[in-house]
Amino acid sequence: MLCLASHAADPVFFESKVLPILQQRCFECHSHGTKIKGGLALDSRSGWEQGGDNGSAIKPGQPEASLLIKAVRYTDADLEMPPKGRLPTSEIAILEEWVQKGAHDPRTSGASKPRKGIDLNAGRQFWAFQPVRDPAPPTVKNADWPADPLDHFILAKLEEKSILPVTDADRHTWLRRVSLDLTGLPPTPAEIQAFARDNSPQAYETVADRLLTSRSYGERWARHWLDLTGYADMMGTSNGVYAEHAWRYRDYLIAAFNADKPFDQFVREQIAGDLLPATSTEDRAENIVATGFLMVGDIEIVNPDKAKMETDHIDTQMIKIGQAFMGMTLGCARCHDHKFDPIGLEDYYGIAGMLRSSPSSHKMPDMGVWSTINSTVLPETPAQLAARKTLESETEQRIAAMKTKQKKLTEERASVMAQLAALGKATAPVAQIAAATDNAEREVAPPTKTAPTADKDALTKRRDALDADLKKLAGDINHAEFFKDKTPRAFAMSDGPQPSDMPVYVRGNPYAPSNVVPRGVLRVASWDRLPAIPTGQSGRLQLADWLADKRNPLTARVTVNRIWQKLFGTGLVPTVDYFGARGDLPTNPDLLDHLATRFMRDGWSQKAFLRTLVLSRTYRLSSANPKSAFPDPQSKDPENKLFWRMNRQRLDAEALRDSMFAISGELIRDSGGPALVMENPENCASLSLKGVNPPNYAHKVPRPSQEFERTIYLPVFRNNFAGPDRLRSVFDFINPAMIAGDRPQTVVPTQSLFLLNNDLPRKRASALAAKLIADEPDELARLEVLWLRALSRPITSTERAEAAALLKAVTPPGKPTGSAAWTELCHSLLASNEFVFRL
Amino acid sequence: MNSPFTRRQLLQRTACGFGALALHDIASAASNPLAARISGMVPKAKRVIFLFMGGGPSQMDLFDPKPFIEGKHGQKIDSPLRKEVTQIGTDQFLALKAMAPVRPRGQSGMMISDLMPHLASVADDICLLRGMNADNPQHAGATLQFHTGTFAEVRPSMGAWVSYGLGSENANLPSFVSIQGGGVREYGSAFLPAIHQGTKLTVPLDGKALPVENLRNVSPTDAIQRQRMDFMTRMNRRLVTDLGGDANMEGMIQNMELAARMQLTTPEIVDLSKESQATLDLYGVGGKDTNTFGRACLLARKLSEAGVRFVQVSTGGWDHHGDIRGNLPKLCAQTDQPVAALLKDLKSRGLLQDTLVLWSGEFGRTPWSQDLSGKSPIDKHGREHQPESFCAWMAGGGVRAGLTYGDTDDMGYRVLNGKVHIHDLHATMLHLLGIDHTKLTARHLGRDFRLTDVYGEVVTDILA
Repeated sequence: MLCLASHAADPVFFESKVLPILQQRCFECHSHGTKIKGGLALDSRSGWEQGGDNGSAIKPGQPEASLLIKAVRYTDADLEMPPKGRLPTSEIAILEEWVQKGAHDPRTSGASKPRKGIDLNAGRQFWAFQPVRDPAPPTVKNADWPADPLDHFILAKLEEKSILPVTDADRHTWLRRVSLDLTGLPPTPAEIQAFARDNSPQAYETVADRLLTSRSYGERWARHWLDLTGYADMMGTSNGVYAEHAWRYRDYLIAAFNADKPFDQFVREQIAGDLLPATSTEDRAENIVATGFLMVGDIEIVNPDKAKMETDHIDTQMIKIGQAFMGMTLGCARCHDHKFDPIGLEDYYGIAGMLRSSPSSHKMPDMGVWSTINSTVLPETPAQLAARKTLESETEQRIAAMKTKQKKLTEERASVMAQLAALGKATAPVAQIAAATDNAEREVAPPTKTAPTADKDALTKRRDALDADLKKLAGDINHAEFFKDKTPRAFAMSDGPQPSDMPVYVRGNPYAPSNVVPRGVLRVASWDRLPAIPTGQSGRLQLADWLADKRNPLTARVTVNRIWQKLFGTGLVPTVDYFGARGDLPTNPDLLDHLATRFMRDGWSQKAFLRTLVLSRTYRLSSANPKSAFPDPQSKDPENKLFWRMNRQRLDAEALRDSMFAISGELIRDSGGPALVMENPENCASLSLKGVNPPNYAHKVPRPSQEFERTIYLPVFRNNFAGPDRLRSVFDFINPAMIAGDRPQTVVPTQSLFLLNNDLPRKRASALAAKLIADEPDELARLEVLWLRALSRPITSTERAEAAALLKAVTPPGKPTGSAAWTELCHSLLASNEFVFRL
Repeated sequence: MNSPFTRRQLLQRTACGFGALALHDIASAASNPLAARISGMVPKAKRVIFLFMGGGPSQMDLFDPKPFIEGKHGQKIDSPLRKEVTQIGTDQFLALKAMAPVRPRGQSGMMISDLMPHLASVADDICLLRGMNADNPQHAGATLQFHTGTFAEVRPSMGAWVSYGLGSENANLPSFVSIQGGGVREYGSAFLPAIHQGTKLTVPLDGKALPVENLRNVSPTDAIQRQRMDFMTRMNRRLVTDLGGDANMEGMIQNMELAARMQLTTPEIVDLSKESQATLDLYGVGGKDTNTFGRACLLARKLSEAGVRFVQVSTGGWDHHGDIRGNLPKLCAQTDQPVAALLKDLKSRGLLQDTLVLWSGEFGRTPWSQDLSGKSPIDKHGREHQPESFCAWMAGGGVRAGLTYGDTDDMGYRVLNGKVHIHDLHATMLHLLGIDHTKLTARHLGRDFRLTDVYGEVVTDILA
């Protein structure tokens, strides 16, 4: 042993025994020549002394305390090296011996690895972190063209490149465009005629104001916002666990947009509404519901490792806050300083500490490995409370009635069973007698042979019916009792008992906590120190104030860019969700800042901002390419980055579906409330809080009205989009586990098949045909109305002739054209490009 | 545009069945979204059939027998789990022996259970991976990791990546099909162009059901539908002319014609009724247990043969928390014959050599028993999820047939050698398809993403 010891401290032992093992087994991932995984380099003494993410790899003389030895021994499932397989025992013994004897290691080569910190001053030079400016509108040669200061910025860029903007769109096209953009619905024939007749200079303003004050406006723009939240009516993705309160957040959004809630207030409520003062009970409830923003995403609620789960939740919220308000990919900084942007681990864990101080889920006490999203009881007005009490007492009465019925049926069943049993005893001897009589002496004539069988059949049938009724009744009672508490709740944030700073988790691993960082915000985008977080508070309020501050360089820019993108098809920063170093630069930085400044100056009013945009000259441009333009804008700016024409857009899933129902006259306009049809017991299963799996929901029986409601009110599921709303997934509805401000727009044959053959457009076509025939007896006039309804413009003479030809061609010879023929015509319009695109 | 082709020519040339152009591609209209993107190494496999056994098949009951556990049946064993992890019905850690004998098969002596006699007969054609390793202990997360490489964020599925990397081999069918698939993320394209998203098919259990939606004409006759389409096409063409051209509208016009063609051709391609009785029998079509999965596997072969790049066949039911003794044989009865039939059929058609078949669940199951009720006798116990180690197998397209790769410890919990993480499996699959997994990237939110994220190593030991 002594002999061995001297070997181990010997440079020869290291060179001949230890180093080959390190080279062959470890260098592939842990040396400067290749990779330095986990931050650990083993090609120098300082490499293992300094260690990687988990700290020093070797403690000389202490193999039991050395991570390297622990790893090669394969005793801890979380730390096994080399990952592909355990070393031969002999090699492990050599390493153990080496460490035991002091880990002699003469190597000094290998680069030391300074931690590459974040250079905040350099980072602040990047355009997105610079303060928002207020540039003066540039002078333009064609001074008559601009209708709004923003047009100066557009025209100046075009003039710089000698590009002429195209002509204005005709009034029908503009009206259809603005109606679809602001409300997601086409104009009605009456609205088209009113606008056509309005010769006043305010005609366009009148339309914009009408649309912005319609309820449909909130229903459209709330849906855009939902795309940034990962909204669905289910928790996480697993097992159909319903998110029964999610709809409140959706309805909050619709109301907020319709009330034109100032955007800074809108931000504050969604991040920290629960911490804001309230002016009334309703206001307080609204503020609580608003924090659903942080709760409605794809938050996984099943993981046996709750520490990991909590960390993942926080990450989901971090990604959302970063993307929605800052246009930053914060998720990268969970494991390491951001590779491209000046965002460090300290920034991530600064905000994460606020979120960890406001837990968003808790484990279900008696339910396997499941957790649930936290909810808050909402304050009620006396009227709301009274209405709820009435509802609850009605439920109690209903339960009592069902129980009475249950008792009655149970008794009847017992009686039926008794009769059956009696019959069973009676019939057996009858059969014997019958058999005996065949052999002669007919002592007793058997009672009518068929009667017992008939009785038995009837009784059996009755028993089966009772069994079915009782089973359903038991289910209904269980369902009613499970949901009898009608206390209003919302998925909402609230501060936990012990708000505190949190440690950096090395590589995002909650079991590897490192240094604690103070709660804070993105340093590179800050103008000052964050105000102190009061003891006992999470800091979300300070985060909200920072986001909603006029000095924040990101919030207003990101927001006006999103709104611009919805109207013009492309953002001024085309990567609307990412303003970082690898994103696109603004195509017109002065315009972006001009709009951000105006937005804030006008009290963060989204309606005022939208009004400005849709009344601009730029918005009024035609989407057609110039027939013969010189100089040709298409060659100078083929992607239309400078907006010399309007971009055409395919209708998104919601606008497409809602328009079809609006045109056919079937759209229901007053919706809201729960999207899930929880009141139907058939849709609910496992209604118990004691099972291994949680109660869950399957959308088997929709509410009849749901077929005709606006798409935003339909339930959203993460695991599939089945059901009558199939259109959504075919037409690029957002994957509800994702957050994205800009949906991909695809052109795939499944869409054509849908338009061609699916029931949804077919039924709308048929309803539209029926309506047209009922409303307008004259065929020519009917065609005029059809074109106004479907395409928002008058029919042309060519189309009139072609439509007549189609009607004739699809009608059997000698028969009058009827609803079948008109259905074909209506269907072809609803599937046409002019309907599917907005010009 | 620096391509000699116009967009319309491209659409005509490439217009693969589900051919499409993402609007985002306008700038680079010259690039065919279904053209091969990566041409690096020589591919050993041209296409993939992925048989997904949802729920987590029990590896030690099927492929990795453990004498230590057999010997300790019903007795307590030491738990290797961390204490913080919530455990339900597994706190006893009772050793649970295999449900049926697992024996050496074929020339290779590969260990396969008596519950899979058909697979046992083709043991020498498969490469068994016994050191599989994943990171998530729950179905949803683990399933996502298996299909997309990650469970935290929304990422493209492996079929979408393969379609993105290799393009389509056929003109009338999508490049990626998911048969009986689960959630959309299992066949989603996430930030890749939507054309790479898997097309979900249901298995037609009779001659009437169509596996693709909206294939049936809703007009009274085909002639009437044609009239309606012609009217619409005239309007569409006029509009494109008035606008001075529009690539997406052109695409819609082309797709409308394609949709009409698909109405005619697709039902034929997926029609199983034209197969010989011998083939139907081979797959167990019509069999009591095997009918559904037999049809699914046969459909997979037909689609693969017709040039679908990636076919994913999913089945569930392997989640045996309770009474695994009663339930595991049922799942084996449903799938064993169809799976083996697929290998035999591919081989006899000469397709196996360049078709990679992959069989796996999202994770495996524990060597100790689980009893959710807390009252059952050990014969009625099941097994809990285990991502730490499990078994998968590959066959065909460039893998070493007959090889058993990887070993676990005596308990069957930890991988001792031959560990293949899901990232490694993905890297190896792409390698076999001729793709360097570190080079197949797509830019999203400023970053280049890969199927294997920043991980993954090709398992060279299993290459033929």
